[in-house]
Amino acid sequence: MSTTNNNLNEPQNLSSVAEVEDAKLAQIHEKPKSQGRIVFDRFVSHKPAMISTIVLIVITVFAFSSIGWGPFPGWWGQNYYHAGAVVDGGKPTLSLVPTWLGGEGFRIGEHPFGQDSVGKDYFALVMNGTQKSIIIGVVVGLVATVLGTVIGAVSGYFRGWVDEILMRITDLFIVIPLLVLAAVLGKMAGASTGSIITLALVLGLVTWTGLARLVRGEILSLREREYVAAAQAMGSKTSRVIFKHLIPNTMGVIIVNATFAIAGAILLESSLSYLGFGVKAPESSLGLLISQYQNAFTTRPWLFWWPGMIIVAIALSVNFLGDGLRDAFDPRQVGKKRRRRAGMFALPTRKEKP
Amino acid sequence: MWKFIAKRLGSALAVLFAASLLLYVLVINSGDPLKDLRESNADNREYLMAQRVEYMNLDAPWYGRYWDWLTGASKCLIGQCDLGRNINGVEVSGLLANAASSTLRLVVLATVIAAVLGIAIGVLTAIRQYSGLDYIVTFLTFLFFSLPVFWAAVLLKEYLAISYNDWLADPQISVGTSIAIGIVVGLVLQMFLGGSLKRRGITFFASAVFVPLVLQYSLWLNFYRYPQMGPAIIIVLTALLALSATAMSVGLKEKRVLYPALITVVLVLAMYYATFYMLLEPNGWILFFGLVLAVVIPAAIGRFMGGRLRKAAMSVSIITGVAGAALTIIDHLFRAWPRFLDVKGRPIATIGSSTANLEGGFWDHFLDNGTQLLMPTILLAVISLASYSRYTRSSMLEVQRQDYIRTARSKGLSERTVIFRHAFRNAMIPIATIAAFDFAGLIGGAVITERVFGWKGMGEMFATGLDHVDPAPVMAFFLVTGTAAILFNLLADIVYALLDPRIRV
Amino acid sequence: MSHAAPMNEQGSEDFALSFNDLNVVFATGGADVHAVKGLSLAVRPGQVVALVGESGSGKSVTSTAAMGLLPENANVSGAAKVGNVNVVGLDEGKLRKMRATDIAMVFQEPMTALNPVLTIERQLTEALELHDIAYGKEATDRAIELLEMVGIPDPAKRIKQYPHQFSGGQRQRIVIAMAISCDPKVIIADEPTTALDVTVQAEILDLLRELKDRLNTGILLITHNMGVVADMADEVAVMFQGNLVETGTVDQVLLRPEHPYTQRLLAAVPRLSAPAVVTTQADAHSSETAPPGRELVLEAKDLVLEYDMRGKIFRAVENVSFDVAKGEVLGIVGESGSGKSTIAKAVLGLLPVASGTLSVRGHNLPKLSPKEARKVRKDIGVIFQDPAASLNPRFPIGECITEPMVVHKIGSKAERTKRAEELLDAVKMPRNVINRYPHELSGGQRQRICIARALTLNPELLIADEPTSALDVSVQAVVLEMLQELQRDFNFACLFVSHDLAVVDMLADAVVVMQSGKAVEQGMADTVLHAPTHEYTKRLLAAAPVPDPHEQAVRREAWRLLNNTK
Repeated sequence: MSTTNNNLNEPQNLSSVAEVEDAKLAQIHEKPKSQGRIVFDRFVSHKPAMISTIVLIVITVFAFSSIGWGPFPGWWGQNYYHAGAVVDGGKPTLSLVPTWLGGEGFRIGEHPFGQDSVGKDYFALVMNGTQKSIIIGVVVGLVATVLGTVIGAVSGYFRGWVDEILMRITDLFIVIPLLVLAAVLGKMAGASTGSIITLALVLGLVTWTGLARLVRGEILSLREREYVAAAQAMGSKTSRVIFKHLIPNTMGVIIVNATFAIAGAILLESSLSYLGFGVKAPESSLGLLISQYQNAFTTRPWLFWWPGMIIVAIALSVNFLGDGLRDAFDPRQVGKKRRRRAGMFALPTRKEKP
Repeated sequence: MWKFIAKRLGSALAVLFAASLLLYVLVINSGDPLKDLRESNADNREYLMAQRVEYMNLDAPWYGRYWDWLTGASKCLIGQCDLGRNINGVEVSGLLANAASSTLRLVVLATVIAAVLGIAIGVLTAIRQYSGLDYIVTFLTFLFFSLPVFWAAVLLKEYLAISYNDWLADPQISVGTSIAIGIVVGLVLQMFLGGSLKRRGITFFASAVFVPLVLQYSLWLNFYRYPQMGPAIIIVLTALLALSATAMSVGLKEKRVLYPALITVVLVLAMYYATFYMLLEPNGWILFFGLVLAVVIPAAIGRFMGGRLRKAAMSVSIITGVAGAALTIIDHLFRAWPRFLDVKGRPIATIGSSTANLEGGFWDHFLDNGTQLLMPTILLAVISLASYSRYTRSSMLEVQRQDYIRTARSKGLSERTVIFRHAFRNAMIPIATIAAFDFAGLIGGAVITERVFGWKGMGEMFATGLDHVDPAPVMAFFLVTGTAAILFNLLADIVYALLDPRIRV
Repeated sequence: MSHAAPMNEQGSEDFALSFNDLNVVFATGGADVHAVKGLSLAVRPGQVVALVGESGSGKSVTSTAAMGLLPENANVSGAAKVGNVNVVGLDEGKLRKMRATDIAMVFQEPMTALNPVLTIERQLTEALELHDIAYGKEATDRAIELLEMVGIPDPAKRIKQYPHQFSGGQRQRIVIAMAISCDPKVIIADEPTTALDVTVQAEILDLLRELKDRLNTGILLITHNMGVVADMADEVAVMFQGNLVETGTVDQVLLRPEHPYTQRLLAAVPRLSAPAVVTTQADAHSSETAPPGRELVLEAKDLVLEYDMRGKIFRAVENVSFDVAKGEVLGIVGESGSGKSTIAKAVLGLLPVASGTLSVRGHNLPKLSPKEARKVRKDIGVIFQDPAASLNPRFPIGECITEPMVVHKIGSKAERTKRAEELLDAVKMPRNVINRYPHELSGGQRQRICIARALTLNPELLIADEPTSALDVSVQAVVLEMLQELQRDFNFACLFVSHDLAVVDMLADAVVVMQSGKAVEQGMADTVLHAPTHEYTKRLLAAAPVPDPHEQAVRREAWRLLNNTK
């Protein structure tokens, strides 16, 4: 099939394919584009992904700047631990419906998200929970990605017993559901220190296997590529082959699934907190807030809606972001080569079946 | 093939063993089982502590306790399970039976629904890549991926179950609402059925007019409290299905397929009257036997009358027969509904896996179990359906780019044959693998769902067990779900081998 | 440009397939791609018309247009008639009825053209049943008959098997059986033998010719191989960049080409230098010993190489001995599975040596420590087959070329850049590509970059593993010429692995012929390729078609003779 670009300035009067190609090369005036640059361009033109990126940035900036983080003070006047007088049954003062539609006009008010039963400002509470969820998501994403990439790459490159162990560990997750293992480990983490970072590290320890399988599959096919053979033949060290030639070319799979891992981790944390094996008071997270107030649904629905909506917004944005990245890394027009597409927790694909 | 299965089973058992060891060690180290007693100031504290130490055998080293559990659990192979005692000294084996049956019912049903619907939607969106339907389904799957299960469960409970029950007390749909429903149904239908702009338009207008009329008519009949169908409607529906299945497979001109299908329709009517009194108060075996008959008899008719088209004749007849049987069952369910409403006024339950002390016959219990299962099943199925449809879609798209699809097209095969005979089977190969992981995910999901809907199932057993650092219930949970997962995985492996001759021969 | 394609100007003549002013334009994200520009061509029943061209010439687009299988972004105008029916713009349902019964297709890649999960029976009978030719048992009988016709042994039993249980050549036979199953008026064979070994290719071409005569089917043969054209075609049409540049009988076009493109294309086809005499018994040729004073670079003695396939040891190379001296080129030829590439892999250290010695400049590779081995590797350069896969897509060209210097920590950054520029000059690429990325270059250009990379450290030994088999003929000519030139300049020893005897003949001083892991014949290129003694070498030589219809006719007879006496 022709892929030639028959512009007006097509080379004329040539009678050899080699000449035509050389003439074309001489005519390219655009700047050289690296793979990363091409992927970035494609990503930027992916609308849902760009919208999601903006949503994520807004949520993150809000969560960290409003109530402050660590030593940095925030601009929101209230904090999440001071109880106060419950005003108007704790109803949210936020209103977005303009007066001419029968609403109360645009107004933020004292407690935009309302107040909880002891009069704490719910906006501050939710922002605090959001911070924790984002931290957990990012830490779990990082831990799982680093572990999954290194273990996957090593087992794909060396095969043999490393590979055997990885496959058995993955089998383990068929028998013990991820949530169950995470719950047990979460409880252990809670029993020892109870800090959010410990929980995140522990969750990272159980969520890397999916990515490891994917990276392994990718490496298995990449290591048969001739540029890898060429690198080995010229005497490159194994570490150079893995880190310079193999892993950079699996970046697509890694980045895409890292985003899915973040979304998965946020949901997993919320589920664990709901069951009582995740974040525990006095720490707070969105999952914990929902769990605390699920019975308030009929009387004070805002206590239930806000944290839930924010979890959905974060997870949805991250998932769309991952989808955009996947499309950017895996343009359909590249052609016949079969691509692995994976989703949350990177479930296995056909090629990996032994 | 048998060797293959034996090998898989062997390695699965090894994994099961390793996983049990890991889980046991983790659970007993996840906290202090005596914590609540240590903090209590009851008079008989010392006694209670000693009692619990004895129940849980806390004096023994961890490997001793694990060994006890393992020997007890391995007796399950000879039918004498001894899964130890929980923190209160109750035999876990006794608690298990009820919990296991309700959880497995939930998980298996959700898996089947999710797989069937998810794969169907996946195929449809792959065929219509980049259509409006594709975009909407894509958005919905991402939404379902992003929903915290328990949060969605509360919403479902509130908006679906409770409002339906409220509505059913006095079913009313205003004219405006029914027109709106008609328009929505029309929009959705035209998107699913597709076709040219004209065909879509006809679909839309037909359903936008038809649906409101049906809604109002059914209200007039008080259908929602006193539903009825009767043999006439059954026969019309079955005949319509027989005709359209024939038309879609070989065309109505083909008598060798049409006649067996129509004979099956007549048999359905005959069976309806023949079994009427038996089905007023049946049992599970009768229903099962009926289903077998509904497959075997039409298959035989199709085989004898189909000639060279016997494959098509058999499948069309079987579809007709099974549909007729299903409609017969629905007819009986309709008959039982008013009486069921009398015993259970708010049918769609949000708590528990069955209503305690329910009076009534087979159908009442059937409906009760069904209505109790409805909410959690919808929830689990919807979330898992999203991943099935997503994987099927990408797998189908992948397969459609293969050379052999081009070969099939170059033979002059119709698009439907290309998709279902050539593409679909190849696309299902990776899905078989994913199903195994998905099943494990659903069991995890069931833990949460049971908490939300207040089921006394396996998930609850696990959650409370873990909370009390009580290994026996946790391990019992693991034993059941792990075995189920292995069996399911084995099933997936067999399907995989059936689909792919390359690993079979 | 000649548009006089339907040369016989009788409008009513029965063509099996004819194109009239066919234009195909693809709408893409960027500019529209005009893939076929005003093509006119006709195929009569029982006639073979070869459509020749290199990649990007639009030849495959033309055939796909005739089948009505172009993707949706293709805009087709003009006429493509199958029999008397114009398929351009024809209703999809009618088009489907014509496929298989009026027009059928044989594809290039037999390994992927058959559905892996359906039996051969199912795939053969479904077309028969679909087009109302035969049903059930009858269809199966007909399918067995077809398999017998295309030469599948024991068809009644094998029809129940799945595609993976057949070899590549057999699969192509099955695809052909499928194509002839409904007696089409015309078969489009799209590079039907490109993926096959040369002896299998000869068999498949024989089969096609025989079937065409028996069934009086027209064949539109799409190929880039001029030898295949000479072997099969009655008429030839040459395409270049979407244009039909020359048409005529096979004699006219191959022996007296008029268009400069055709002339250059034919000139670019490598040929065995002297007619290979295969019928006469050659006298025992002298032993290979070359004049003393050869400076041996690579030496293998009783080399044995094995693959470990999940615990099963598979012996890929058995007791092979050879040597290459400075300034010499040793060609290793053989078909797929002969072990020729395995040898290259072992020299590159990608595969352990099971037994025997393999020394580079006197250092026996299997005995070296990893550190010493790395030092030796510095002196070995390599070029692989697939230009698309042999450069890391994330490295700019400059880094690709200088990677060996980085690995062996040679030179400063400026020196490396300077070296890269010198090498780009050597392979006649503009210096400014140094910052471009591999995906911005064409296959031939990438292969030149690979050559540059292989020469970075002035190696004593160059391993070339099928370096030109993925390239178009004219590009291959450029690359081969460049290799020859560079070898003169740099005076390295070269191990040249190839399946193409003509290419080896052009470059090599000595040759090793491999068959299933064994060296069946070896010696000086002149002797082995022009006076072979071993049966297999003779077969290989006889099977390779040459781009001269008359000579090829003689060779074909010789090939038949050779096969019959076997």
